[in-house]
Amino acid sequence: MNVLGIIANTGRVLSEEVVVDTDGNVTTHSWFLPETAEIIWGGLASLIIFYALYKFGWPQMKKSFEARTARIQKELDDAAADTSSAASEAAGIRQAKGDIEAERSRIMADAKAQAEVILTDGRARLVTEVAELEARSEADIAAARGRVGDELRAEISRLSSAAVDHVVSGSLDDATQQELIENFIARVGVQS
Amino acid sequence: MSDNRIEGYSRALFEIARAEGTIDEVEDELFRFARSYENSDELRNALTDDQIPAARRQSIIEDLLGGKATSTTTQLVSMVVGSGRARDLPAIIDKLVARASSAKNLEVAEVRTAVALTADQQARLQAALVNATGKQVNLKVVVDPSVIGGVVATVGDTVIDGSVRTRIDQLKSRL
Repeated sequence: MNVLGIIANTGRVLSEEVVVDTDGNVTTHSWFLPETAEIIWGGLASLIIFYALYKFGWPQMKKSFEARTARIQKELDDAAADTSSAASEAAGIRQAKGDIEAERSRIMADAKAQAEVILTDGRARLVTEVAELEARSEADIAAARGRVGDELRAEISRLSSAAVDHVVSGSLDDATQQELIENFIARVGVQS
Repeated sequence: MSDNRIEGYSRALFEIARAEGTIDEVEDELFRFARSYENSDELRNALTDDQIPAARRQSIIEDLLGGKATSTTTQLVSMVVGSGRARDLPAIIDKLVARASSAKNLEVAEVRTAVALTADQQARLQAALVNATGKQVNLKVVVDPSVIGGVVATVGDTVIDGSVRTRIDQLKSRL
């Protein structure tokens, strides 16, 4: 069947009318289309409804769409602002991180420099102290040597003195005592 | 004790001894007592101990000198000890001896020896000292073992030292 045939059949079907047989069964004039009056009244009612919808529903819908659009736009703007803020914060954090890295590097450098200075000073002080200790030890050793020498000499002198006292006292018998006295008298007697 | 007080005591003792007519004897005994006092720590401590009553100290003197020295000497020493001046006994007695010698125009010659001198040695030593110093001397002999040997004579400021002690000291100095 070609297209013209289809259209012709459709026109014929649409143009069929309602027929009520004797049994009361209703048979429309078309198996698809309603009655003409129904079409007219239905069409008018549809137009009224469409008009009412257009007149009263559309502004509300439009307003709702606009509000939704505004809300979505606002959310988009907020999201954009948040994104910008986050980006700014990220930049700040990155900068802070960079600053922290720089500060860490500076602190490490300072600490290293101070440690180096302390180490150098410590080494110098240690060398000085070791030198002083060595000098003091040498002085102590020399003093101890001298002291021991002095003590030894004093002890020898003491022992020698005691030995001299002992030997001389032991050798002075009565005859020697008398001889010493006589010699003294004789020696004093010739003085004038 | 001040010099004035020592001088006063010595003058008092001298005058008493002279009044008693025993100055030579008393002076000699006091001199020997003074030297004994100097050489004996025990005697010195006993006579200078303030814890011992004066009467007890005086009885020590009487026990020590009684019968060995004249009563004048004993009384004089006892008087000094009883008055609490025992520490100054040697100084007082030395002043008294000097005063007694001076009264006779003599210079005190203190002679220290390790052994006692005979009378002959004392006489010859006195003559020798007169010859050496040009002064008349009142010889006072002290037996001092620390001299070891020989003689040390002191006449005024002059010291004539012929002691073994001094020679040993010189040797020790060189050592």
